[in-house]
Amino acid sequence: MNTPDLNFSVVGPLVWVSLGAMVVLLGEVLLSRAKTFFGRTVTTSLVGSLLAGTSIFFLAMATYMALAHAAMGNATPFDPAHPMFVLDRFSALISGLIALAALLSCALSIQYLDELRINHGEYYALVLFSVAGMMLMVCAVDMLPVFLGLELMSIPIYVLAGFDRKKLSSNESALKYFLIGSFASAILLYGVALLYGVAGATSFAAIRAAASLTNPLAVAGLGLVIVGFAFKISSVPFHQWTPDVYEGAPSAVTAFMSVTVKLAAFAALLRVLALSFEPQGEALQNVLWVLSALTMVVGNFMAVIQQNIKRMLAYSSIAHAGYLLMGFVPGTQAGYAAVVFYLICYVFMNLGAFGVVVVLANRGRDCENIDSFAGLARTRPGLAALMTLFMISLAGIPGTAGFMAKWQIFASAVAAGQVPLAIIGVLTSVVSVYYYLRVPVLMYMREPGEDAPRMEIGSSEFLVLAVCAFAVLYLGIVPNGWWVFDGLHVLDWARDSVRGLFAS
Amino acid sequence: MEATHLLTLVTFLPLAVGLALLATSAVARALGAEGLPASVWRLTGLLTTVATFAFSLRLWTGFDPTEIGYQFIEYRPWLPDYGIHYFVGIDGISLVLVLLTTFLMPIALAASWTDIGRSVRSYIFFMLFLETGMLGAFVSLNVFAFYVFWELMLVPMYFIIGIWGGPRRVYAAVKFFLFTMVGSLLMLVAILVVFYLHYQQTGVLSLDLVAPPGGGSTGLIGTAIPTTGIWWQTQYWLFAAFALAFAIKVPMVPLHTWLPDAHVEAPTPGSVVLAAVLLKMGTYGFLRFALPLFPAAAIEWTPVILALALVGIVYGSLVAMVQADIKKLVAYSSVAHLGFVMLGMFAFNVHGISGSVLQMVNHGLSTGALFLLVGMLYERRHTRMIGDFGGVARPMPVYAACFGIVTMSSIGLPMLNGFVGEFLILIGTFLAWPIVAVVATSGVVLAAAYMLWMFRRVMFGPVDNEENRGLIDLDLREKLVMVAMIVPIIWIGLYPEALLRRIEPSVIDLLEKVERGSADAAQGRDPLLAQLGPVLPADAGEVQP
Repeated sequence: MNTPDLNFSVVGPLVWVSLGAMVVLLGEVLLSRAKTFFGRTVTTSLVGSLLAGTSIFFLAMATYMALAHAAMGNATPFDPAHPMFVLDRFSALISGLIALAALLSCALSIQYLDELRINHGEYYALVLFSVAGMMLMVCAVDMLPVFLGLELMSIPIYVLAGFDRKKLSSNESALKYFLIGSFASAILLYGVALLYGVAGATSFAAIRAAASLTNPLAVAGLGLVIVGFAFKISSVPFHQWTPDVYEGAPSAVTAFMSVTVKLAAFAALLRVLALSFEPQGEALQNVLWVLSALTMVVGNFMAVIQQNIKRMLAYSSIAHAGYLLMGFVPGTQAGYAAVVFYLICYVFMNLGAFGVVVVLANRGRDCENIDSFAGLARTRPGLAALMTLFMISLAGIPGTAGFMAKWQIFASAVAAGQVPLAIIGVLTSVVSVYYYLRVPVLMYMREPGEDAPRMEIGSSEFLVLAVCAFAVLYLGIVPNGWWVFDGLHVLDWARDSVRGLFAS
Repeated sequence: MEATHLLTLVTFLPLAVGLALLATSAVARALGAEGLPASVWRLTGLLTTVATFAFSLRLWTGFDPTEIGYQFIEYRPWLPDYGIHYFVGIDGISLVLVLLTTFLMPIALAASWTDIGRSVRSYIFFMLFLETGMLGAFVSLNVFAFYVFWELMLVPMYFIIGIWGGPRRVYAAVKFFLFTMVGSLLMLVAILVVFYLHYQQTGVLSLDLVAPPGGGSTGLIGTAIPTTGIWWQTQYWLFAAFALAFAIKVPMVPLHTWLPDAHVEAPTPGSVVLAAVLLKMGTYGFLRFALPLFPAAAIEWTPVILALALVGIVYGSLVAMVQADIKKLVAYSSVAHLGFVMLGMFAFNVHGISGSVLQMVNHGLSTGALFLLVGMLYERRHTRMIGDFGGVARPMPVYAACFGIVTMSSIGLPMLNGFVGEFLILIGTFLAWPIVAVVATSGVVLAAAYMLWMFRRVMFGPVDNEENRGLIDLDLREKLVMVAMIVPIIWIGLYPEALLRRIEPSVIDLLEKVERGSADAAQGRDPLLAQLGPVLPADAGEVQP
């Protein structure tokens, strides 16, 4: 019997992350039984910091491997005989980004978990497991690993959402997310089953060859797959869970899942749509058009009336899903490239915004009410300035990542003749400016209230916010490299990664 | 310093100094020391704006009025694959506006020396940021860069109104921001459509407005934008999107409602900059982008614009007349004055457009000065109600004299700047649309009525309010500020040729573009165009008021 010719380097990032998860789990068990660790008394917060450091190390390795592969740029399947898992420019870039986002949110969690007295080591293991699932999902070129990855990603996040187990809303959030997430997975699986019925195989290539949109079975299958994904990316009308889950989950978890889940789900959707259904793109366009328009309108208008900052950011993330979907409507390479670039920008601006919320959490309580931002410019001028930057970026004001991302999306939509959709997009952006500006208004133009925010910032938290702020400005002003950052051609990366998809 | 980097220097010096100040403060605080004291910020801010003005004077002296086209051009790649270049340059029109901006910023800072007591550091930073934003918008020749600066300057202005403004400041700041955003985002879509049409026609991805120095693209201005076809590709709708963005900024009735709120609530330097420079962004946008890009549509839309401009003149004046608050009165007078500017522009002849550019500068000077004067009075009495004053000329003779000169300038007294601009505009309008000019002239009369009436009620008569008896006249700093404002008011009134000489070649160039473009598009079938007659009068080069 021949040994299969496997490319183990392809699963490098995935292996690092999974290994990290196991090391963290073991480390938790061993450390919590020890009395001292290198002469220091073992406390929960020491264990937490050590495990966080460990997971950051493994995530950094995974990030490095993935991004190095993205720069190299050849598409290698894990098992050339049965290509199910491919690391090409696209999946490597997205995997690297997921790992980086997870790394940043781990660094963001250390102090926060201590503050909430829930600093348990499983936290980091769960993060790593779900990152492994996400990577599997974005590297898959077959429906089965997509589903596998989706589940591996989701289940740890259900647990993470309820991680603050003494808090009622956290439990509610976990249960709600679990129930709705299971529905979504089931619906996706139905879709996959129907497509299997049409094509006789589950690989994207086989589906693309067999599925034509005149076949009702294929239409139903495609519809169910899109609905399944629409749950995960929280597109209207499948968005209902998002605000509740984002609000109930601990802020650090919300920060983590709001960016990474979106990254993974959008990347997988992009692959599914571009590789399995691209020839029949026109029929798809209408569905995506409606989803995008609805998501932008509902997300932005609902965000206006929110009084809780996490709920507001939840609706804002729904709205951003609408803008991202707009990039899918043209079905062109430019559109997909714009989506990838938007995702990159979104990671940093959203993580930054949630990061500020995390940093403000005080004495075991989240700083959730939007009014607790009042007068922040007086008490925490640095944080207020950063929050303003992230809000301005989310609103899409020039000079920030949010604008450059929207520019790319709108440009691709206009080039494909989707001007009415672009007009809906810009008009809802005006609405978004209103609610994003509320935060700076409170911070700069009102007197401080009774809600005292935390007064000190941990060094890891500071680093995360600094990285996000730098990225937001960098991506907004010189996304293709300048001066000492001449090598960071982020716009080109986005474009090339998508080009690779169509070449393979 | 090489002359070729002069524009970059002028544009970015304020922001660079602002960031340097922030960084120094942050480092000092990180080392455990106090941040830089407010006085250092104030002084550095003032010196920076003065230096910027000094550098911009070199633009003035180095500008060659005989040369047509853009000067001081700098062109380097920014995101070349996406058609985005750092492309700056100025012609006569932007030259005078750049100078207006750099001239007013030190004055605004000097005028707010004692006025702004709270968070001085942020205030200075936002003012410097704002200056870079405004200058960037005036010098950008790449539409993307223009758009970036155009929206970027909203942010500092928003904070200036929202933090240091009056009681309803938050409402005014948000309204200002949202109004501008609605227009500019629709313009963004229109920009993308033009970008796409340009790419379709030439195969070049470029957002440069005009052909770059190295060649390689015709610039967006060379795009033949259809007048019929798919609705969103037609000049008619694209012009409408651009015009909406600019008309909000001008502001034209009925999109002006943000202006009284913003002006009244803003602190004095905010009002000065808002009136003197930010409003000019709108009229400048028409001249630089909307007219040359969509000439046929501009002519098609002319009746609407003229009607709105007339309504603005008459309605603005009438509303100004009944205001009890001096600042609000000046704000509504801006609506009327900008109506004149729009009128001259859509006369489509050299007199009209030159006058309109000149009037932009004039309005900046006289309304800026008026806001400064109102601010000085407010600082002393903490009220701006006309009814609270009377006989102010007795305790404050110097103040009254300054106020008098500026009032005369604002209503267009000969020998002062306002006269030249309004005169040229009315001549130009009369040549093109006689009846419109007749109606517009009533605006001049109304302006005299509301300004002089206000002046009389505030300055003359008995001092019947005891609090006004003890008013202190202008101190040295305030006198210097007012002298600095009045000198150019008189200078332009006596010798407008200095400005007109630089403005006119650019205006003629613009008119040629409009004429050529609309002729191409309409093929002579547009009745309005035929009605206009020859766009260039025989004596185009030598207009003398």
